[in-house]
This record gives sequence, structure tokens and C-alpha cells, in this order.
Amino acid sequence: MSAATVGAPTAVRRFPEPRGLFLAMLRVHRSALLFWAALVAVAVGALLWALGPGADSAWAEYRASGCGGDSPNLGCDLPGPAHGRYDTVVACASGLLAVLPVLTGAWAGGALIGRELESGTARLAWTQSVTPARWLAAKLAVPALLLVPGTLVITLLHRALWASDSHLQRVLGWREWHDDSVFEANGILATAHPLAALALGVLAGLVVRRALPALAVAALAVMALVYVLDDVRPHLWPMPPGTPVLMHRHPSSHFWPLQLVETGIVLAVAALATAASFALLRRRTGAAV
Amino acid sequence: MVEYRIDRRSGVATYVQIVQQTKQALRLGLLEPGDRLPTAREVVEATAINPNTVLKAYRELEREGLVEARRGLGTFVRRSLGAAPADSPLRAELDAWAARARAAGLEHDDVAALFTSVLDAHFADSKGDA
Amino acid sequence: MTDTAIEAAALGRRFGRRRRPALDGCSFRLPAGRVCAVVGPNGAGKSTLLALAAGLLRPTDGSITVLGQAPAASRERLAYVAQNKPLHPQLTVTGTLRLGRDLNPRRWDAGAAERIVAEGDLDPGARIRSLSGGQRTRVALALALGKRPELLLLDEPMADLDPLARHQLMATLMADAADRGTTVVMSSHVVAELEGSCDHLLLLGGGRVRLAGPLDDLLAAHTLVTGRAGDPLGPHTVVESRTTGRQLTALVRPTGPLGDGVQGDRPSLEEVVLAHLRSPDAPPLLLDAREAAV
Repeated sequence: MSAATVGAPTAVRRFPEPRGLFLAMLRVHRSALLFWAALVAVAVGALLWALGPGADSAWAEYRASGCGGDSPNLGCDLPGPAHGRYDTVVACASGLLAVLPVLTGAWAGGALIGRELESGTARLAWTQSVTPARWLAAKLAVPALLLVPGTLVITLLHRALWASDSHLQRVLGWREWHDDSVFEANGILATAHPLAALALGVLAGLVVRRALPALAVAALAVMALVYVLDDVRPHLWPMPPGTPVLMHRHPSSHFWPLQLVETGIVLAVAALATAASFALLRRRTGAAV
Repeated sequence: MVEYRIDRRSGVATYVQIVQQTKQALRLGLLEPGDRLPTAREVVEATAINPNTVLKAYRELEREGLVEARRGLGTFVRRSLGAAPADSPLRAELDAWAARARAAGLEHDDVAALFTSVLDAHFADSKGDA
Repeated sequence: MTDTAIEAAALGRRFGRRRRPALDGCSFRLPAGRVCAVVGPNGAGKSTLLALAAGLLRPTDGSITVLGQAPAASRERLAYVAQNKPLHPQLTVTGTLRLGRDLNPRRWDAGAAERIVAEGDLDPGARIRSLSGGQRTRVALALALGKRPELLLLDEPMADLDPLARHQLMATLMADAADRGTTVVMSSHVVAELEGSCDHLLLLGGGRVRLAGPLDDLLAAHTLVTGRAGDPLGPHTVVESRTTGRQLTALVRPTGPLGDGVQGDRPSLEEVVLAHLRSPDAPPLLLDAREAAV
């Protein structure tokens, strides 16, 4: 006993605690980290391709078929194979952002929290030198820190694409700024939605305490949130009086006000879920800090 | 060096087994003055018994003056235990008594039981304590 | 520095309002440096007690202090191994030990942890999911001891181990206790596997403390009596008595000399424990409280 107490304070403090906890998180969730890196790489690659060679070949094809001049014929409304490829790739990249919240929520509920509570590895962490609250903080902060830059990069590329291919959009006119997937991919919502999903997933994991049911509950909760948001979105910024409240009736100048109000709501949901998670964990373990 | 054999089912307290086996080793000359007894760690690593039990046994041996603990070095044998020599008068008397018992028709087990009960009666206070 | 490893006062924990409490009114004191067995049948409250001591649960009644502090405040100084030895199956043995280093930056002793793994002849590159029960237990123990705990809490550590692994792991534990005076608390429902290794006993039954104290003192306080049926057992506290034909067998706590014609024997740990489990109404015997008062 005396040897331990004498030895402990003199032991070298290898690195500050947050770093140890951060490393531990990466070690335990290594496969999820790799999966996320691959996902970002695929989306970035797809968007870069669309920005460069994809758009070029679509344009070349458009011009080759005699369109793009002053008198486009009727056939110019039907895209050729190059434009089809371009459109598929862009849809994949923005679709990836659209499913990211559900993926994040399901992972957070199942693998991040539910499995750890079910198998007892959470208790293993809590009986190291880590309090349950710090453990939970790391569980939220580390994925959030990795989600934010990834989604921001994809959003910036998507915006660049959106700006550069406006002519393509105009002539073919398939995608509008207010389409759900375009609206979300072009702004900070692409970052806010996964963060709220993370918080909801963590809360689901803590409530359900088992991996598979928590995964299902979290996925359903996130889907419900996204569904409700899509529904209320047109109401989030006032329209000129007398105009029906529909997304396509909003002027495109409402893009940022709509983005900011919805982001505020989504982050409030995330904050509430996080507060509930901490309260629940504290009530269960009785641990302070 | 001695190696202790702990029999958990013998009903004899573990520390008593260590004391007895140490004394036996002293009687048989397996341990001689100056020899070091195994450390508590060595004993528990081999036997999986409680370290406090080993220390208790060593304190008992120390109290009887058979061993001494030297700080930081270990526990060392101070003196050996002489068994009654084979040609002592006590042995001769016992020899004669055993011969009479046999002549009286007693079996081996009868003699052993008789001997043990007399032994217990005379050494009641140190029963079970080596 | 405190000389008390665990102290509980009227400690209780219930799960749900309607259910019988898992622990109820438990008071005991465990001095530091002991190897304590927490014994009792399944459902006696052993796991609950260990989780409370580890700061994983909070009491619904009474209080528990560990190493002189609230359990949550002693987190760095204690180690806990749960019954199912939870580890991350996807990590290697080395990765698991690194996790211990990362999560215990101020206390981690990599050498000690690696030594315990090496003693088990384990491949450091093997994944946890490929290990046998005994090997997993060894890794869990290495993780716990690498932290250099002052108090080690083990919930059914030896269940599902073969006799050789059991002996090896117990030897590892005892060697650590010998080296550093670690207080070890281990629960079990198999009494025999703890005899010889433990010097302190806490017997739980139905969520209450039935026996508590130094093992030798508890054994010395009991006598196994055999006599003729009808022999008076006098003023002694009778834990259990049985009559078979003309023979009377009883476990008593003598308060004076036994009567004539009655033979008294020193009972084994198992006999004392079983007699108390068969007689749930026998009064509890708590010896450590007295010791604490000295």
C-alpha cells in the first residue's frame, strides 16, 4: 500500500489526460474512423471529378449534339450518356450527405454507446481513471471533431460545383436550390444535421443500453427529425403576404436565413439531447464531474 | 531452499502447514542455519495462498527463535532442530514398548491410535501447532 | 493515508421500487492490505456491492467510502474487473494494454501489465476475440493491475476457468498483493476456491451481511459440536443444529466451555459458510466493527 502511494505522484505524467482519452477513442472506434475517411474521400473524389472532367465532357456532348447555340432543338432537353454520368455522380455525393445523419445516429446509438453499455466495456472505461462524464464528453466530442471538417469540405466542394455548373442547370434545369438534397448540401445544415444525429444516437444508446435496439431507435429518431424538418422548412422564414408557404415560392435570397434558422433549431435539439445524456448518466452512476 | 506443499483439504490451518513443513525441513537437514527461506512473494507465486499467511507463519517461526528476518534481505534460518538421535534412551524405551504392544496382539492401527491419544493428552496445549 | 479500504454504513441499493432490495442495511469495515472474500449464493448482492464500491452505482440508502473517500473520488486508486471480463474484442492484447495506458496516464505501469500477460504465454498480437476464457481473464487482470491499484475489486474472477488457470491467476494476484500490499476483494459463490487465499470474509445472504471479519477470528468463533441427541447446547449461540438418529451435529458460537460428553471441533470455512446459508435466521456476526473501535 505504502509503495503504491509513494509511487503514484512521482510517476511521470506521460501526456495530458484529454489526449489519452482521444487516443483511446480512436483506438476503440478505428473501423468507424476508417469508414468515415473512406466516405469523405469518395464524396470529395466524386465532386472533384464532376467539377473538372465530368462537367467538361457533359458540355462537349451538349455542344456536339448541336445545342448550346442560339437555337437549341427539342432534343437538347434529353441528356446524353456523359451528362447522365455527371448527374449520377453529383447525386451520389449529395445523397451521401443526405444519408449521413441516419448513418451517424445509427452508429452512435449502436456501436458508440449501446454496444459499450451492453458488453460492459463502458464500465471498463469508468473504472480506469476516467469519469463517466468525461467518457461521455469524449464520445460526443471526438466524432463531432471528425464529422465537422469532413462535412464542411464536402459542402464547400458542392457549393463550388453548384456555382460553376449553373449554366448546365439552367439549360437542363433538373436541380433547384430549394430541393431538399441541394438545400442541405449547399449550407451549414450538412454539418448541423449529423451533429444532431450524433447527440440523438448517443442519447438513444444511453436510454436503451443495448446495441441493436439502440441502433434502430436512433435511426428512427433521426429519420423522424429529418422528416419533420423537411416539412416545416418553408415556414422558417416569412414569405411576402399572400404567397403560399412552399419551398419553391421562396426567393433564392432566403437561402441563408432559412439555413440559419434551421441550423439553430437542429443545434438546439443536439444540445437538449446532450444535456439529457449527461443527466441520465449522472443519475445512473452518481458520479460527479 | 524449501518448497511448501499446501493441502487445502487437510483441515490444518495454512500457516500451521508452513510452520510444520519448515520444521520438518530443519529436522531432515534440508534447511541449515544461514539458509534463506523463500520470500512471501515466492511462496504465494507457487502456491496461490495469501501472503499474510506466509508472513504469519514466518513470525511464528521467528517467535520460536528458529529464523530471523533481516531487513531488506529476507528471512534466514538461525538454528536447526535436532531430532532425537536414533540411539537415545527415549527411542529404546519406545522400541521396547512397541514390541510389548505387538506381543499383546495389537495391530499397527491400534498402536498408532493409542500412541496418538497419549501424545494428545500430554501435548494438548500445542495441539495443531506443530 | 487511510487504513480502511472499504467502509459501509447502512448501505442499501434497490433496483425498482417494488423489487426486494439487492443490498439492505449493510455495515462493515474492511481494513487495508487484506485479501477479502465476498461470499454468498447467487443473488445475495455480491455484484451490487462491488459495483457500489467501484463507483459504478450509487447507493439508494446509507453510504460507502473507499480508501477514505467517495468511490467516485477514488477512481484512480481502484481497479475493478466485472464478472464477464468486458474487453474490446476487436483490439489486440497490446492494443488493450495501450488503452490502459491511455486511460490511466498518471498511474500506468506498462512493465507490470506486460509481465502478467507474458506469464500467461499470450501472443501480444492476438485479438481479444480469439482468446479463451482464461486468457481473457488474464488480460483483464493485467489491465487492472497495470493501473497499480490500491484496491482491487474482482467480481467472480475465477468462474469459468480451468483449475490450472485458476491457480496461475490466483498466484499472480497473491504475488501482487505480496509485493505492494494491494487490498483485494473478490466475490465468489464457490467457497473452496477462496480458502487459503483470503484472510478476510464477508458473507452476504439476501442482501444483508451475515458474517464479516478476519477469517481466522470468524473460524475461531465457531465450534462444530457432535454429541448425543438431546444434549443441551447451553448458553451458546446455535447457528445450526441437526439430529441424525442419536447423533447431534451443531455449529455453535461458544460463549463458554462446552458441556461434558460433547466434542468440539474446529470447523472449516465451508462448514461455517454452509451452516449460515442453511440457517438464514441465525444472527449475524460482525467482528470487524469491534476491531475498528480499538
